[in-house]
Amino acid sequence: MITRRIQYELAGRVFGPALLSFEAWQKRLKRRGKKRGPSPFGPPLESVKKLKEVMSLHYLEGRYADGAVPVAWVTSGFPVELLRPLGFHTVYPENHGALCGVQRIVPELSDAAEKEGWSRDLCSYARTDLGSVLLGKTPAGRLPKPDLLACCTNICQTVLYWYRCLADHFRVPLVLLDTPYVYGEARPHHLEYVRDQLGELIEVVEKLTGKRVDMDEIVGIVRKAREGTRLWGECLATARARPAPWTGIDGFFHLAPIVTLRGSEECNAYYRLLLDELGDRVKRGIGGIVDERRRLLWDNLPMWYGVRELSTLLAERGFNFVCTTYTNAWAEAGSRIDPADPMGSAVLAYTHIILNQDLPNRLDIMRRLSKDYSVDGAVLHSDRSCKPYSIGQIDLKERLARELGIRVLILEADHNDQRAWSPEQGNTRLGAFMESFS
Amino acid sequence: MSDAVAIGVDCGSTTTKAVAIDSGGRILYSVVERSHPRIEEQTERCLALLRERTGAAASVPIGATGYGRKRIAASRVLTEITCHARGAFFHTGKACTLVDMGGQDTKVIRVGPGGDVQDFAMNDKCAAGTGRFLEVILARLEVPLDEIAQRAAGEARPVSISSTCTVFAESEVISLVAQGEPVAGILAGLHRSLASRVASLAGSMAADADVRMSGGVAKNATMVEALGRALGRPIGVLPDPQLVGALGAALWVR
Amino acid sequence: MRRAYIEEQKREHGRKAIAVLPVHYPKEILTAMDVLAVEMWGPPGPPRGAEAGRLQTYVCAVARNALAFMASGKADVVDAVLFPHTCDSIQGLATLLPDFGGWNKPALRYLHPKGEARPSSRAFVEKELVSLATDLESVTGRPLDTERLRWAIALHREIDGLKAQLLAGRPRLPMDDGALYALLRRGEYLWPEEHLVELRAARDQLRADPVQTGVPVAITGYVPEPMSIFATLNGAGAFVAADDYAAIGRRVVPQDGPVEGDPFAVLRDRTFAAPPCPTRASDPRIRARHLESLFGRTGVKGVIVHEPKFCEPELFDVPAVKRSAAARGLPLLLLEGELELELSAQTVTRIEAFVEMVSTGRAA
Ligand code: SF4
Ligand code: SF4
Repeated sequence: MITRRIQYELAGRVFGPALLSFEAWQKRLKRRGKKRGPSPFGPPLESVKKLKEVMSLHYLEGRYADGAVPVAWVTSGFPVELLRPLGFHTVYPENHGALCGVQRIVPELSDAAEKEGWSRDLCSYARTDLGSVLLGKTPAGRLPKPDLLACCTNICQTVLYWYRCLADHFRVPLVLLDTPYVYGEARPHHLEYVRDQLGELIEVVEKLTGKRVDMDEIVGIVRKAREGTRLWGECLATARARPAPWTGIDGFFHLAPIVTLRGSEECNAYYRLLLDELGDRVKRGIGGIVDERRRLLWDNLPMWYGVRELSTLLAERGFNFVCTTYTNAWAEAGSRIDPADPMGSAVLAYTHIILNQDLPNRLDIMRRLSKDYSVDGAVLHSDRSCKPYSIGQIDLKERLARELGIRVLILEADHNDQRAWSPEQGNTRLGAFMESFS
Repeated sequence: MSDAVAIGVDCGSTTTKAVAIDSGGRILYSVVERSHPRIEEQTERCLALLRERTGAAASVPIGATGYGRKRIAASRVLTEITCHARGAFFHTGKACTLVDMGGQDTKVIRVGPGGDVQDFAMNDKCAAGTGRFLEVILARLEVPLDEIAQRAAGEARPVSISSTCTVFAESEVISLVAQGEPVAGILAGLHRSLASRVASLAGSMAADADVRMSGGVAKNATMVEALGRALGRPIGVLPDPQLVGALGAALWVR
Repeated sequence: MRRAYIEEQKREHGRKAIAVLPVHYPKEILTAMDVLAVEMWGPPGPPRGAEAGRLQTYVCAVARNALAFMASGKADVVDAVLFPHTCDSIQGLATLLPDFGGWNKPALRYLHPKGEARPSSRAFVEKELVSLATDLESVTGRPLDTERLRWAIALHREIDGLKAQLLAGRPRLPMDDGALYALLRRGEYLWPEEHLVELRAARDQLRADPVQTGVPVAITGYVPEPMSIFATLNGAGAFVAADDYAAIGRRVVPQDGPVEGDPFAVLRDRTFAAPPCPTRASDPRIRARHLESLFGRTGVKGVIVHEPKFCEPELFDVPAVKRSAAARGLPLLLLEGELELELSAQTVTRIEAFVEMVSTGRAA
């Protein structure tokens, strides 16, 4: 009983704050709604409660076993399926960074990193994380120290520079999965390289933990991971309905399990529940926003510190983000996973991540999403500190507009550092963009 | 016989300063003018004035510093950093950290126990951490420089200004005014934001140091106070803060 | 001038020319196939032309200028472009230009592995070298001759050896920094055999005793632009005694001995023998050790870090470089640039103040 309580408290400290503040904000809107007319949002999703529970449980497992199980800090694109069977507890600095972003404490953390010599022009996730490590400050109370750093360059090269700094700081081994960027088709020797590295990686982690990786167990996890991504994809697909049963912003938050718990039963159970609720809302015609008039696509990471204001601003005028390339990425990758050939398919899946593929592929995905979700326009977030996601957007904008006849706005901001976002200018631009539809 | 033994000229981007000193380093006479694009002519004029007022001979050596330093016919040409350090050391006689806030740039200099430069930092290209930032926004608020202290006085609730870029901050301030925020709070917030920018420039240099301030902005008491708060220690303003660089230049050739 | 040279090379020698983006690539293969490599570190200045706006202003000037230059047709004298896998920005550029317009000739990529050597990355780089050679064969229409590749490797070894001698013997070289760097950087476009002749001539000028009287400083960073940085340094009374620019010192891999065995294996070994470089994601601890030993060997009095603004690989390493300098008690000056044509007045002041600082420090 006592452990359970401790567990609960710890967990609440970790993921609870973001969700709680998210909920509080929705409630505040409702309250505000009483004064200034009805809230522009539909009723909050019931699943949020479960989401909180699931995420809490995950974090508390790790804290509960801190010191007893090995801890790995991993990048969002790393094949975590390999670490799970060895009992690793995983921490996702990018996720943790987003949490800090939502709480708007990035300037303080970044200042500490900048003081140490890391430029403000570097990726704000990295600055957030390095600053948090330096100050020992986190909305999660305390993060377990890593025994291993696991880095995959399929989202960017930047994560590797960042993890090298972490390895330097913590003096722990760093395992690298270097995934050659895919121009057109991946060349056979590129895939062989990824495969060889997976082999090396298994050796390193086996040595570190003194356990052997059980292939059967991996197959089981891979199977679950595929099921999880499929479910996540279906949840996203419910937003093809009019009105979309949730908002793209909801999607950013509900992404957490597929990123951090991929391959586990809890993850899949959660998405089944969510899918049921979304399906039910579709049937009953309940929308993520009350009066859906225009449907938009969002490209790039969210602006974690400002998603709420942004979606409110849009929702008030009947605009909803019904799809995002970011949340879609986790549905996309899973389709390549094949339990019959876990290693071979992992090589393919982890190499063919949206950010590891060329721009024609990006454009294809955006085209497909635009059509499938019948969007009227797109907002491309030009993210000052994420170059891999932002390079090419100026051409993408022009192509989307020309080929699909939709309106496209480029919004200059940063995914985590609010100091690079000017709400006055940004909101004015968004306002003008929305007016251009009428 | 004149007491003047050396002359220092600090040819800055906003103002030009010239001093003549005696053998004890006392300033006998000083000139401060808005900088003119014709640097050579302007310095000649200032030098002539100095010589006339102090009776300094043409042979009195000249130390030159500031952005226009290389265009001055001087016995020695040194950067503002080295000159400010020497000027500050003259006043303090011991190691200190000097924050010099001028129109176009802000520098933080760690002055060693012998008046030498141990380390320094300067703001980057943008105007965000400089006097210019303040000027632009004060103009927006229509607050004259000499009224800042009085207008910002007693304001317990500084409005938070999150933008560090001058252009962003300007639009942020405009919208704050439009939202009806009192000017006093905005002013206080502005100084706080600028101070934190300078504090981060100072970084570890300001730790455990006697912090002194020079430059035109040092005359703005609100700024001095804000910076003191940001650095967590009181800050002493050097005498004649605008003349520290010129004084240092003169001391180098004394 | 460079254009005229490229045209002449093509006309007189029947060579192909390939534009190469920074930083690391197996030049030996290009030379062996009679391909003139013309490196694009810029060109300096603000990005020009209608296409300049296709990359956001928060992308480094190296990538932005390359895009503006190539998309406006200014590089049409070359037959292909090679994009090494240097960073996220070049990786993006390598799809933006060929796939979305601006470059219609062949676009080759060289995806070198990241991090320290592992069995997987050693095997990979060898295959990648072969695959690049195959791509080049389709550009030149000629097969690669193994003997010729051995010859090219030997040639570049000699070039590297000479560069290493000039850099290590810097105090004994009667030449100002501007002249030395101009010489070293001519290798960015000269046919290697011509560059070799110039380098030998410079080596012959090396004296027995030091001739440089300024304060020795180290410089690390990406590429020396604007080159007037050297005039400013020399004018202030300092000279560069230790070089760790990505474009210069980090590409010098001194290797002795005859070229034996499979030339691709030799090139593979060269890859991992190169000095640590953040664009290959070298371990910052290894880099710190390397720098500390460089600073110690050359007896420098200060360290200048000269980086392009917005450059992720370089800027992530700055704290480690700072620590290396601090470990040897050396003051450090950080300069960020955007491939300006000239140094700003403020940068000149900072360099001069830095030299004044390390000079008085030396006197004391
Ligand atoms: S935000 Fe962009 S640059 Fe930063 S880690 Fe993620 S993908 Fe890489
Ligand atoms: S980011 Fe750095 S490594 Fe990449 S192109 Fe720019 S300057 Fe070169």
